[in-house]
Amino acid sequence: MLETGVTVRDPGPDDAVLGMLPRRVALPESVEEVAEVLRACARDDLAVVPVGGGTKLHWGPPPERFDVLLDLCCLNRVVEHAAGDLVVRAQAGVTMGALAGALAAEGQELALDAPFPDATVGGTLATAVAGPRAFRYGTARDLLIGVTVVLADGTVARSGGKVVKNVAGYDLGKLFTGSHGTLGVIAEAAFRLHPLPADRRWIVAVADPPGMAERGPCRVRELAATLAASQAEPSAVELDWPHGQGPIWMSVLVEGAAAAQRAEALAALMGDALRSVRAEPPPQWGAIVRDEVLAEVRFRPSRLTGVLDAVHYSGFSLRGSAVSGRMWLELWDDPGEDKTVTALRGLRERLTALGARMTVLATPYEGVDRWGEVSSLPLMRRVKEQFDPGRRMSPGRFAGGL
Amino acid sequence: MLDELTAALAGILPADSVITDPVRLRTYECDGLTYHRATPGVVVLPETAEQVAAVVRLCREAGVPFVARGSGTGLSGGALPREDGVLIVTSKMRRILEIDLPDRRAVVEPGVTNLAITEAVRDQGYYYAPDPSSQQICSIGGNVAENSGGAHCLKYGFTVNHVEACEIVTPDGDLVTLDRMDPGYDLLGAFVGSEGTLGIATKITVRLSRAPEAVTTVLAAFESIERGGEAVSAIIGAGIVPAAIEMMDALAIEAAEAAVACDYPRGAGAVLIVELDGPAQEVERQFAQLREICSGAFELRVAAGAEERAAIWKGRKSAFAAVGRISPAYIVQDGVVPRTALPRVLAEIDRLSAEHGIRVANVFHAGDGNLHPLVLFDDAEPGAGERAETVSGAILDLCIAHGGSITGEHGVGVDKAKHMPRMFSPDDLDTMQLVRCAFDPAGLSNPGKVFPTPRLCGEVPGVRKGAHPLVESGKAEQF
Amino acid sequence: MDPKLINDCVHCGFCLPTCPTYVLWGEEMDSPRGRIHLMKQHVEGTPVTPEMAGHFDACLGCMACVTACPSGVRYDRLIEQTRAEVERTHVRDPRDRAVRGLVFGLFPYPRRLRLLRPGLGIARRLAPFLARAHPGLGAMAGLAPEVARRQRLPRLVRARGPRRAVVGMLTGCVQGEFFPQVNAATARVLALEGCDVIVPAGQGCCGALSVHSGRRDQARRLARRTVRAFRKAGVETVVVNAAGCGSTMKEYGDLLGEEPGFRVVDLSEWLAELGPAAERHPLPVTVAYHDACHLAHAQGVRAQPRELLRGIPGLELREVPDSAVCCGSAGTYNIFEPEAARDLGDRKAKAVGSTGAELLVSANPGCTMQIAAAMRREGAAIRVAHTAEVLDASLRGVGL
Repeated sequence: MLETGVTVRDPGPDDAVLGMLPRRVALPESVEEVAEVLRACARDDLAVVPVGGGTKLHWGPPPERFDVLLDLCCLNRVVEHAAGDLVVRAQAGVTMGALAGALAAEGQELALDAPFPDATVGGTLATAVAGPRAFRYGTARDLLIGVTVVLADGTVARSGGKVVKNVAGYDLGKLFTGSHGTLGVIAEAAFRLHPLPADRRWIVAVADPPGMAERGPCRVRELAATLAASQAEPSAVELDWPHGQGPIWMSVLVEGAAAAQRAEALAALMGDALRSVRAEPPPQWGAIVRDEVLAEVRFRPSRLTGVLDAVHYSGFSLRGSAVSGRMWLELWDDPGEDKTVTALRGLRERLTALGARMTVLATPYEGVDRWGEVSSLPLMRRVKEQFDPGRRMSPGRFAGGL
Repeated sequence: MLDELTAALAGILPADSVITDPVRLRTYECDGLTYHRATPGVVVLPETAEQVAAVVRLCREAGVPFVARGSGTGLSGGALPREDGVLIVTSKMRRILEIDLPDRRAVVEPGVTNLAITEAVRDQGYYYAPDPSSQQICSIGGNVAENSGGAHCLKYGFTVNHVEACEIVTPDGDLVTLDRMDPGYDLLGAFVGSEGTLGIATKITVRLSRAPEAVTTVLAAFESIERGGEAVSAIIGAGIVPAAIEMMDALAIEAAEAAVACDYPRGAGAVLIVELDGPAQEVERQFAQLREICSGAFELRVAAGAEERAAIWKGRKSAFAAVGRISPAYIVQDGVVPRTALPRVLAEIDRLSAEHGIRVANVFHAGDGNLHPLVLFDDAEPGAGERAETVSGAILDLCIAHGGSITGEHGVGVDKAKHMPRMFSPDDLDTMQLVRCAFDPAGLSNPGKVFPTPRLCGEVPGVRKGAHPLVESGKAEQF
Repeated sequence: MDPKLINDCVHCGFCLPTCPTYVLWGEEMDSPRGRIHLMKQHVEGTPVTPEMAGHFDACLGCMACVTACPSGVRYDRLIEQTRAEVERTHVRDPRDRAVRGLVFGLFPYPRRLRLLRPGLGIARRLAPFLARAHPGLGAMAGLAPEVARRQRLPRLVRARGPRRAVVGMLTGCVQGEFFPQVNAATARVLALEGCDVIVPAGQGCCGALSVHSGRRDQARRLARRTVRAFRKAGVETVVVNAAGCGSTMKEYGDLLGEEPGFRVVDLSEWLAELGPAAERHPLPVTVAYHDACHLAHAQGVRAQPRELLRGIPGLELREVPDSAVCCGSAGTYNIFEPEAARDLGDRKAKAVGSTGAELLVSANPGCTMQIAAAMRREGAAIRVAHTAEVLDASLRGVGL
């Protein structure tokens, strides 16, 4: 099995995906080796799960079948950092932390906040996680300008390039971003970069949750809307509501020239909310704290109050961007399968009624409807059938069992 | 076959929405690129998404190809009709359906012009960021198809970064909504920029941007392109991301001057337009840096207000069509190189120009390395057109050789399909084709665009690796 | 049709959003770019089909496309040449022919128009019945204005105060007969600003209506007479207060093959150039200024009338949205293409209404007739005035 020149080892307990162990772990060291492994898997009809830092490997349901864990840790070169062009090319296994370090040396950054520092470029793309600054810079797909992927049959394909502006051909990068390893393997990626901001300031404030009538109605939405519309241009407006109870913490990031003055100007807009301006990020800024049970809520920012109402006393902690309408629901104290399944069902119902979308990214419980209705699912199935007709790439791990 | 289809179309559309008169049909024979022409078999002007879907379903049943067209301003022949097909024109679908400022979004029909969105929200302090030069007429549907950019995409990105959702008619004739909020594959990301080959957008939700607090527009005149280029490098090197950095060379300035009397500084070898925007304090500091950086300019003008800003931009935005004033015919090229390669590439273009005796005017988005060489020739002079074509093609080769792209914003269309194999390998193109096969297995949606000679869906690529092992072993079927 | 002029068009489409018929219908063949394409087809051998002629006829000749065109295409010349060609080669439907004959036998002749004046009130009431005979007749009747008492201008109006200039003044046909008060105001304003105003007799119609409809022979005859009248008067400058007339007279050189020997200026252009001398009295009114196509597009005069209006203390000027798009009047357009003209009028009425202004000011009688009629239909009647009347009221310190 897997008789190629590529390094292969037997699996250990750390290689399990939701309790399932692969038969082999392959450790390719180049794009060509990735292709070689996938060709061999195609020959023997072996199912493959690619992995980078392994930080989100337990997200999604377990694979339908699982033969080979394709560990991209050895594809860890920053291939090219063209600082004058504000462009970087990196292999999939480079960690976001290492990449940030390399870029910072030239005064630049990839304006993509990874919730886990050990996450790799490939994993960050494959899961399309977004952080606080997506409000200003967009998400992974917005910063990705080129990609090299390896398909289930070993075909190596590129799309985009290493220039910021490029509309030649279909954008495979966007298609693979957020595909959770079900279309093929992201082997290399090129991103547009930004200069490191000259300065940064955070405003940290406390606001009351909804329903605390004696101090007036919940002002969080109003505050967030004011900040979002401000011409002082905050880069992020984050909420942190532990357990969906008690005070709501709001953190606002201001970046760039004159950040301090702009932060003061923004703080002044926040009325009587308790607040302070600081030069350091608040604790757990942009991080995912717990992800045994993790959901993502997407909503129109004007519906924020409704979202808060839905989450209040649900037992879930709500963290994320009030202005992009993208937040995490984290369960910090798991009350067990039945209660969690019921709570998630209730949340989906209430959120769907608001026109919001809840996707359960991680849960150990099978009874959970992870994705809800997806109107374009038939088209997605056809895409999957084209790219991976043998269903060998992370089979069953994605929306609608893709 | 087309006659039967035409009769069926007349049955589902208002009487004056089906055009069959040959004289009228011919006015649709080309878009903004007149080099390629084909009189459409029939033109339809639907007014609703349901009508578009019904037309597409009829086409699919009849096996007739269809092409979507918005305002017909594209520069790559993306809306070139098919003589054996139906041209679906969205210019009557131009209602702004919803403006939702708290959520910074607008929902529009595809025929709404790019600028109309900004005009609808400008008074409230918002705007729609992508701004192709043709923004007063190009349609959002067309922008979505081409993933249009514009001068300000250096800082703000392209159409794809500003589209939140699209209702599309798939090549099967189904109405499907692709939404950034939905889980699953980013089909919206794949659809935007697919040049009408994956279906037709019938309703588009765009993101609106807050107008910046301050905008400073600077026109800097340099003795030469080289000096201008150095300034651009220095700006980027200083960690400034301006909203736009545009450059025009002497010939382009001459044309703009002739067309709109933009009154750029006399004797300039190149002008640089730099626009800084954002919070006032930030812009102020960046402007101080910029002034320093542009100290090599022999004249520096700063727009005092909206009117002066418009005056500075007028020359740039009219540059393409303005070239008509100094040359009987010309080719508008669109290529991209890494920004740092600009000086070398421009020198090469100069050399090509001299070698072939063909004048080339350069207008470009210097910040992101997007070149728009205007290759001038006299179509009355025998052989000039061919030489211009040679120069134009050689410029694309230069772009590829320097690690760039054959198109930054005009799209591949019919014009550059033949260049695709020079930028992409057969595997790259076959892989892209998989997306096409998922959306449009019959290949009826804008066929002949983007890809040179697409293989049929289900056809096994012969050059690569023989039959698919699973097909061979009977474990999978080909779609 | 000059193929060279046709080839100047690079098909960029920048003209589309400014074209009233494209704005209405969204169809390529009813856009400037599409019409040029049709001209090209004709030049290349396609005969003028009824469809083709229909698209040319539908053009308002507003010239907004000329302003918008970055390639400098002379669509104004092209459409004039085309109309002449259509008139020459195309046989129209008999009823259309009859209406066209009536209009061209009537409007350019002040004396014939004068005979019509007493009947205007009746005509308006008869409009629905006339419309049944031909929509154009209905439109013509529905637009008919309330006519002020006829005022005959003296041959010479002396400057008040120190004389700064001597100018000739065109009285025009429609302006003179239907809007005599505008001519009176024009003469007074010029005089108050220090101009001797010479109003030669026998100047007649300048030929504009005929030029715009492709009747170049009739136009030449009329133009020669006008030129003769002003030459005899010996003026160097002729001030025109009707946009359509001004744009035609500025092109006399092309029409007649020789320069007329005097300079033609629009009233607002002239006054702005001269600079204010007389005192402006306050006029507390909100004004929506409408750009007449033949002033804004054909003559490029946009800033001067606004400048003059803003110079009046107390007057608040409001911009009309989509000001570059024609109101649908376009000379005789509202008679020959009544439906399109009506739709455009309605759009313009909405746009004007959205400003909330009390008074609509424009430099062309056709526009004011058209927009006022559209606003009456909407039940939102607005007072209308010519720029000259507003200035006149301010200069004399009387109300409007």
